[in-house]
Amino acid sequence: MTTETAGALAPAPQSSRRPIGLLLVAVPVLLVLWLIVWPIIAAVIQTVWISTPGGREFSLETYRFFFSDGYSLSNLSITLWTTGVCAILLLLVCLPIALYLRFSDSKVAAYVQGLAIFPMFVPSIILSFAFIRVLGPNGTVDLLLNAMSLSKIRSPYLTPWGPVIGLVWDNIPLTVLILLSGLGAVSNQSIEAARDVGAGRFAVLWHIILPRITNSILVAISFAVLGIFSAFTLPYVLGPAAPEMMGPFMQRTFRELLDPTTAITQAVITFGFCIVFGLFYVRSVAKNRAA
Amino acid sequence: MKRRDFMLATGAVAGALMLPRMSFAAEGMIDVYFTSDQNVIDFWTNTVKPGFEAANPGITLNLIDGGDSSGVTAIADRALAALAGGQDPQADLFEGFDTRVTVDGIEKGLYVDFDQAGLSNYAKINPLAFDIPTNLPYRGSQVLLAYDTTKLDPANAPKTWPDLVAWIKANPGQFIYNRPNKGGSGGNFVRRAIYEANGKDPAKFTVENYTAEAGETMLKPAWDILMDLAPSMFDGGAYTSGNTQSLQLLGQSAVTMIPVWSDQALSAIDQGVLPETTGLVQLSDLGLPGGFTKLAVLSNGANKDAALKLADFLLSEEIQSAVLTELGGFPGVSWDYVSPELRERFADIIPTSIPVFPTGDWETAVNDGWYRAVAPNVDPAS
Repeated sequence: MTTETAGALAPAPQSSRRPIGLLLVAVPVLLVLWLIVWPIIAAVIQTVWISTPGGREFSLETYRFFFSDGYSLSNLSITLWTTGVCAILLLLVCLPIALYLRFSDSKVAAYVQGLAIFPMFVPSIILSFAFIRVLGPNGTVDLLLNAMSLSKIRSPYLTPWGPVIGLVWDNIPLTVLILLSGLGAVSNQSIEAARDVGAGRFAVLWHIILPRITNSILVAISFAVLGIFSAFTLPYVLGPAAPEMMGPFMQRTFRELLDPTTAITQAVITFGFCIVFGLFYVRSVAKNRAA
Repeated sequence: MKRRDFMLATGAVAGALMLPRMSFAAEGMIDVYFTSDQNVIDFWTNTVKPGFEAANPGITLNLIDGGDSSGVTAIADRALAALAGGQDPQADLFEGFDTRVTVDGIEKGLYVDFDQAGLSNYAKINPLAFDIPTNLPYRGSQVLLAYDTTKLDPANAPKTWPDLVAWIKANPGQFIYNRPNKGGSGGNFVRRAIYEANGKDPAKFTVENYTAEAGETMLKPAWDILMDLAPSMFDGGAYTSGNTQSLQLLGQSAVTMIPVWSDQALSAIDQGVLPETTGLVQLSDLGLPGGFTKLAVLSNGANKDAALKLADFLLSEEIQSAVLTELGGFPGVSWDYVSPELRERFADIIPTSIPVFPTGDWETAVNDGWYRAVAPNVDPAS
């Protein structure tokens, strides 16, 4: 696919542009192959091609161990639970914010947008310690409640709800931005037209807005899920000692139990779940292209 | 300013900022990487750095927080690669580091052998502290119990393990320790439970004697002790993920007692992170374990000689006394080499032995075993 052959074959400008375009994308594609695809293949090979006293041989032992080990399975299920709960909460929190930002003309909207984007600039380790200060035992919330002679809250710190609250807060900006860009495709005319024929607020949302932003919702959720599934800092600082989410579990297996093969097995399994959401994203992008 | 000029100027400034990163390590600047917590880096900034720089004009210290041990391990791996390629590792001294973690590092001569280095203060080091010749012990620290004296009268503070267990059970929710692989204060509490389950004899655990069976028979009873305590822990069995978080909970008065590193507790009280009313107590039947902090000097560092001078300076009476008074740790040298008035003042806490739990296989077994046996006691729905 060199330029000479392209030049010799086709003097027409349309076809001579193709190889140049391909060459331009070749660098990023090769980088992705080298830095992402190859390590994935290497990781899979490393977990199924295990060294035994008699040399290397094919074995699914590490996977069998993972799926028969109650401790590992409970870590996987808490990860799935956290991811699912976070995805639902994110949608419940972010969709109203995005709708408000899209359809409000007031000056307050700018401040709301600033506030919604703010978590993007807070490093998660700082968020974690702030969380302990505010929502932790005898934290700010408890002090305020106490000042009003109310009883203390049941602190989510060191329970599975700790990481959930932290991760939802951390993922608000990206989700709001993606939903907002999706809402940009909903024209004011279509909403006005619907109102003219007597559609109520809920009917507009359900029949006009939501069908047009399903794609954005899918993209936003797959992005959030991909990040949350392998989150490390927030589950590590705010979550319970056990069960742990896959991020801290992998890190601990690798660094402290000095067991890279098991850690890579955990990573491959995590990747297996993430790729499902990755496919959602790719499918929706492809659908957009085709449309 | 025109936009074009602005862009040019910004580019030039950005380029200039990148320059030092691309240059080699500066001559006369010792790059020190830390695995220890902030209070130790503060001690270096306020005491070691000014003292050493005043005594050695022309040499400066560059103190870099390496995060945790895995952060510095990565720098060490890079230094090993630099050794093979004959390049500058851009690092000279690692604080709080065990040279054994670099695979092939000692064999390939990456680290200075202090037996051969001829440090003038080398002979003063406490014999309890010696490990291997590439690790230089320069300070010690031990885990104590810190408690809130407004809630617990110092006269009633537990002084033995059975007292402590009785106190924890009588005051459910008032005690928390951190996960044994994260930070060491909780880890050494867990190790004290392991000693308790094995006749309070630290000598039963050595780096070499770990086997899977020994791990099973010797650790299982300790997990039973800790499982028995779990329902009386904070939140019915919660464990913080680091030393700092435990301090924060004691500071917020959410718990009454935690295990702490002696040095970290003293500087926390000093800085007001913990209130003045914080009491400290050590168990008298067998102390909570601790250990000596070691440092390593790279043999291929650009400032190796200056770094060795620094290592020698750290063992001087000036710094070793400051470890006691400023840092709240124990000296790395024998107590005979600390000023007499300090020896007098700290007579009560001079340990005859600091139980040191072996690293290596035992540590791995403890970390894995605790997570599988003790931690899941937490009800995930709570």
